[in-house]
Amino acid sequence: MGRKKIGILVSVLIVGGALGYLALGNFGENLVYFFTPTEVKAFSSDYYQKKVRVGGMVVKDSVHALTEKTGLTFELTDGESTIPVAFEGIPPDLFKEGQGAVVEGYWTHGHQFQSHMIMAKHSEDYMPMELKRAGVELPKKDFMKSLQQ
Amino acid sequence: MIIEIGHFSVVIALVLSLLGMGASFIALRSKSSEWVQVGRMALTLIFGLLAIGMLSLVYSFLVRDFSVHYVAMTSNSELPLFYTIAALWGGHEGSLLLWVFILAAFSTIAVWLHWRTQPAIMPYLIGVECLVIFGFLALIVFLSNPFERLIPAPMDGKDLNPLLQDPAMVLHPPMLYMGYVGFSIPFSFAMAALFSGRLGEEWIKVTQRWTVFAWLCLTTGILLGGYWAYYELGWGGYWGWDPVENASFMPWLVGTAFLHSVMVQEKRKMFKVWNLFLIILTFSLSLIGTFLVRSGVLTSVHSFATDPERGLFILIFMAIIIGLAFGTLMLRSNKLKSQIELDSMVSRESVFLFNNLFFLVAAATVFLGTLYPLIVETWGGGKVTVGPPYYNAVFMPVALGLLFLMGVGPYIPWRKASQASLRNNFLVPVLIGLCLMILLFILGIRNTYALAGTFVVGFAGTTILADFGKISAIYARRDQVNYFKGLMTAFTSNQRRYSGLITHIGVLVLVIGIIASTIYQTEKVVSLHVGDEFLIDVYRMKLLKIHEVEGKNWKAQEGVFQVFRGSELVTELRPQKRIYNQSQTPTTESAIHAINMGHIFLTMPDVSPEGVAVARGVINPLILWVWGGGGIMGLGVLFNIFRPRKRED
Repeated sequence: MGRKKIGILVSVLIVGGALGYLALGNFGENLVYFFTPTEVKAFSSDYYQKKVRVGGMVVKDSVHALTEKTGLTFELTDGESTIPVAFEGIPPDLFKEGQGAVVEGYWTHGHQFQSHMIMAKHSEDYMPMELKRAGVELPKKDFMKSLQQ
Repeated sequence: MIIEIGHFSVVIALVLSLLGMGASFIALRSKSSEWVQVGRMALTLIFGLLAIGMLSLVYSFLVRDFSVHYVAMTSNSELPLFYTIAALWGGHEGSLLLWVFILAAFSTIAVWLHWRTQPAIMPYLIGVECLVIFGFLALIVFLSNPFERLIPAPMDGKDLNPLLQDPAMVLHPPMLYMGYVGFSIPFSFAMAALFSGRLGEEWIKVTQRWTVFAWLCLTTGILLGGYWAYYELGWGGYWGWDPVENASFMPWLVGTAFLHSVMVQEKRKMFKVWNLFLIILTFSLSLIGTFLVRSGVLTSVHSFATDPERGLFILIFMAIIIGLAFGTLMLRSNKLKSQIELDSMVSRESVFLFNNLFFLVAAATVFLGTLYPLIVETWGGGKVTVGPPYYNAVFMPVALGLLFLMGVGPYIPWRKASQASLRNNFLVPVLIGLCLMILLFILGIRNTYALAGTFVVGFAGTTILADFGKISAIYARRDQVNYFKGLMTAFTSNQRRYSGLITHIGVLVLVIGIIASTIYQTEKVVSLHVGDEFLIDVYRMKLLKIHEVEGKNWKAQEGVFQVFRGSELVTELRPQKRIYNQSQTPTTESAIHAINMGHIFLTMPDVSPEGVAVARGVINPLILWVWGGGGIMGLGVLFNIFRPRKRED
């Protein structure tokens, strides 16, 4: 191998290494994990400062508007456990009581979920997989039946 | 009845795709030209039959035949005509049909277009295209059939998702698919080169226009998607690193690397294996993109919850094609040693090398961020997402590096650059870039990325403008004409190069728009009664009234806002909160006013029964540069495609 070739190889490695470090270095910090309300309730205090996502169904008659800020409080359930959520911001169009929702935020102090983002998810055929797993999907068959009536 | 004709046509097309593969195989074994003709006939017929299939679906949509399951799922009797036709690709099954239809159309065109000049390639081209067509048709016929009946038929259909009832969204999927599928032509030629051992530069030269055409479609598709997200989803941004956006961005990144690196092979006969690798990777990522979106494994605004069978099928099929392609490349790579090596670090070759490195790292980043959650979940590690801050942290430096190379690449000589040529070409641009940066610093801009961005954009922009200035002067003097005529002559004398530079200018404009609208966006959310007003940036927005309005298939509450700057009335904005009649789905329609190359963006996401409205105002400075830059990029590519043919072509 000539000197030139080594020089080129070294510089490619340096630039590539720097880029690789950039791509992998802060990867871990930017991961957001998904949990169910039951799992959130069981959080240890280590988790209070971690940004997480929680998916579940919005409990009927639990949605109230915040008075001093734009936002809502509501309860999110997976059928087993229910957690209170305080959301600051504008809920997406498809946010409704009795429907599925995924919220992102912090389980601060272990008693209320502070959220700044609700995922805009569609119902029926646009049901996100997370919710499908959380068991809140409207059965497709029922829907087809309602079409045929 | 009509729909059964379509169904039948598609089934025959499936059989013919097998025939096409068989014919090209026999043609290769027996070297018989008759069998190649059989293959061409099969491919052409597939195209015709799929057209019949598409038309039969369009017909069913138009007569609103809700006994067709797919029609009932994606349209209803109130849906406007335009969207009724577009509903064809508003759902899963139809968009797959569109995908394979475009594939058949492109490959048929390619076969007829290159038939005389590339006879040796034909059997491979037909074989590879038929294989891909076969895979997608099998998927359609067996697992996601848009021709299925729904008996008894419902009285009315379900609505097309209201978010998709939008002109940009009508064009977005076809453009994206044309991009994905367009790359299948250079891919097939590359495979032909690998199989046949004709590993020269020919496959690259023949498919150059296909490549830029595919790239143009993909770019347009991505930009349309961003534009749609911008005004339809109502959050005031155009790119959210959503997995589905990422799925289309990965082939774009590698495709862009490919269309740059082929120039090294054309001019210097280097990077041979690398170019084959890149085009195989580009098309593979197109397939992966389709898989990610269509299998429902991803959570995003686009993903449909579908049966896992479908995902598994696409996965296996994709693995076969990708495995075959990369396997052949590995077997052949020993024949592909280029005799020439890089002479110097300071040369155009090495700029291309780093260009490719940056693009591939960018693609790898997106790949990691998009697929990591899938991998974690598959191995039972729970559900996880990768946030936008990750991508932003990686992409900002990568983009700056690429922009810098964009200023250097076209002006640094091949082989080895002398000190003098470096000084001649780059000293002034570097100084101008620095001056601009200092100027912005004095004007009070302190954001590192904005300043660094200004430097590279100023640098790269100056090199290009200086180039245009110089050549127009030279040609004007030579022909004794004015500068403009000189520029025209110069442009047509080397249209490929200068059309590329126009695209580069478009990129610079786009980047300025992205930097300004990302870093200097102001946003405000307020609750207000009729008569109240709020201040955002320098604009005062006053809610005059809220009234009811009605469209063909929706009703809405419309807020009438007056926008003032000081005491002067700027405009009136009317954002809506719509409810679509059929599905009772609400949507938030933004109202936008363009001012100083930026946007005043206003939505009214909620009105309470007591009449309290929630309003969200966003000021997006220079956002028109994002779309304008996209337009200039497209213009450059069109100049490239429609350039006069020269001997080198």
